[in-house]
Amino acid sequence: MTVQLLHYRAWQGAFRRPSWGVWPIARVALGSLLRRRLFWLLYAASLFLFLMFFFGGYLLDWAVTQVSQAPIKVGNVTLDTERLVRSMRQTLQVLSGNQDTFAYFFNFQGTMVMIVLALTGAVLVGNDFTFRSLPFYLSKPINRWHYILGKCLAVAVVVNLLTTLPALGLYMQHGMDEWEYFTNVAYFEESGMGRGPASWVLLLGVLGFGTILTVFLSVTLVAAASWMRRTMPLVMVWCAVFLFLHMVAVILVDGLRYNVHWRLLGLWNNLCLLGYACLGFDHETIWPAPQPSFLAAGITLGGVMLLCLTYLNQRTRAVEIVR
Amino acid sequence: MFIDLQGISRFYGKHQALRDVSLRLEKGRVGLLGPNGAGKSTLLKILMGLLPPSSGTGTVLGHDLGGDGTLLRRSIGYLPEADGLVPGMRGADYVALAGELYGMPRKQALRRAHEVLTYLDLGEARYRRLEEYSTGMKQRLKLAQALVHDPPALFLDEPTGGLDPAGRRGMLELLLTLGREHGKAILLSTHLLGDIDKVCDAVIILHEGRVLCQGDVGTLCRRRQDRYRLQIQGEPNGFLEELRIEGVEILDDNGRGGFRVRVPAGWVTRAFFILADHHGVLVRGLEPDDEDLEELFHRVIEEHQG
Repeated sequence: MTVQLLHYRAWQGAFRRPSWGVWPIARVALGSLLRRRLFWLLYAASLFLFLMFFFGGYLLDWAVTQVSQAPIKVGNVTLDTERLVRSMRQTLQVLSGNQDTFAYFFNFQGTMVMIVLALTGAVLVGNDFTFRSLPFYLSKPINRWHYILGKCLAVAVVVNLLTTLPALGLYMQHGMDEWEYFTNVAYFEESGMGRGPASWVLLLGVLGFGTILTVFLSVTLVAAASWMRRTMPLVMVWCAVFLFLHMVAVILVDGLRYNVHWRLLGLWNNLCLLGYACLGFDHETIWPAPQPSFLAAGITLGGVMLLCLTYLNQRTRAVEIVR
Repeated sequence: MFIDLQGISRFYGKHQALRDVSLRLEKGRVGLLGPNGAGKSTLLKILMGLLPPSSGTGTVLGHDLGGDGTLLRRSIGYLPEADGLVPGMRGADYVALAGELYGMPRKQALRRAHEVLTYLDLGEARYRRLEEYSTGMKQRLKLAQALVHDPPALFLDEPTGGLDPAGRRGMLELLLTLGREHGKAILLSTHLLGDIDKVCDAVIILHEGRVLCQGDVGTLCRRRQDRYRLQIQGEPNGFLEELRIEGVEILDDNGRGGFRVRVPAGWVTRAFFILADHHGVLVRGLEPDDEDLEELFHRVIEEHQG
């Protein structure tokens, strides 16, 4: 090895606060994810759903225009176009940009988020444990919470790329179509196009739903991935927590008529409940009924997050750094 | 002052990993020696501000161990024993990331990463992915990430682990240069006594959580007036027999004409040459056999156990 330290130069810049280390940690995790083709494949698949919502409204408008302008004849039978339009509007009301639109959107998109997170958790977090990169991070002048925050931030970016960002796109789209959508909170009530609030109230609801998903899924994924590390075990744990428990809850409450609080076992259901609360849903209208209270769902999710954070605190102890 | 500890103890449950450790070391190149389970890792963690001591106080480079560990770690470049590489990253990005985590602005971290990698002879490999690095390159890369923020002190955990002899020599020369010419305080934790012998001028010997000895290697190693290292050429048997008759004890024979001997009181070195001449043997080397680091280590441990 040739030693070339003849021109070793001192560095005399100013150091920044440890919290500045959070973003580089997130950036590196995201970088390792964005290099994978699988992620882009899944992201493209998730965009199909967004495009269905995005163009569904236009399709509806176009269909309504066509039907109302030209009566439809099937053989000798002429269809009642007004009834048809009304029926189409009712059927496709979910695309009108109201609280139902976003409830359905988050619900459908959530499935894709779950798949993406289960498959990419090992890359985002698990690899640090598998390849012993954790000592590299924690031996630097940051503390373990900066590391955890950095990893959560990386997951948060992925979750928001799949949910909140496209949801905001839908919100903007509807607002650009009808300016009143942006300005009048009672837009849906007055126009009869749907139910629930519009304008900034709806925007806050969308952001709230996105935030709930982001915070909960970030913490749980970082905890699960630091526990399981590799993709397949992580997928199994993820399925057990979000799918199996959900099925158990459905069987207990809807099948065996157990107390409604058993539904709290379904974490995704709890997330949706809180999201619906943000979107302004009346608790009694949420399907499938009956549902536990918003507060119970919030406490359950908070408890799970607390468990995850406690585990992460243990998992990233200094003891792990120098063997 | 590099390291100043007073009565540091550390418990893991009921197990005591460090017992009343007190150290006082000036800035320099310090070796940390000890068998497995001696408490080296625990001591390193405490010195890096990663683990609070159960009792006792101390400072490292003037930073209080009970204070904010982040400030302390900013003054230290740490080379871990484990690879700790982030898969998929390129060398320059990895070192720049370390710089950013130390608190350097991104642009400066990147510029400095290129500089340090060039200094460490990794300029050609800086755009290669870390998975493609050889063991020697990985060790230098780990040193680069420890040096990127130009710390006053380096904590090195087995820096020559897995290196071939040439790589090991190069790494040790590099550490020596960093210590001597660039004023870096070095704490070198290793099982290889030769590494400490080559690089360090002070040593700490830990055993069962206690500091058995600390200080300058030259001072700690005993000077022995009655021992010599002898290198001869020719048939040794007659010469050795004669030495034994004269009361010389042959302690070690390396089979290639090298011997370590203990002489009786009143022995004059000229006698080696006279006896060699009688037996047609050529004395090619003769030097006092002072205690080396390995002997010091074993002596200290044995004294403690005895």
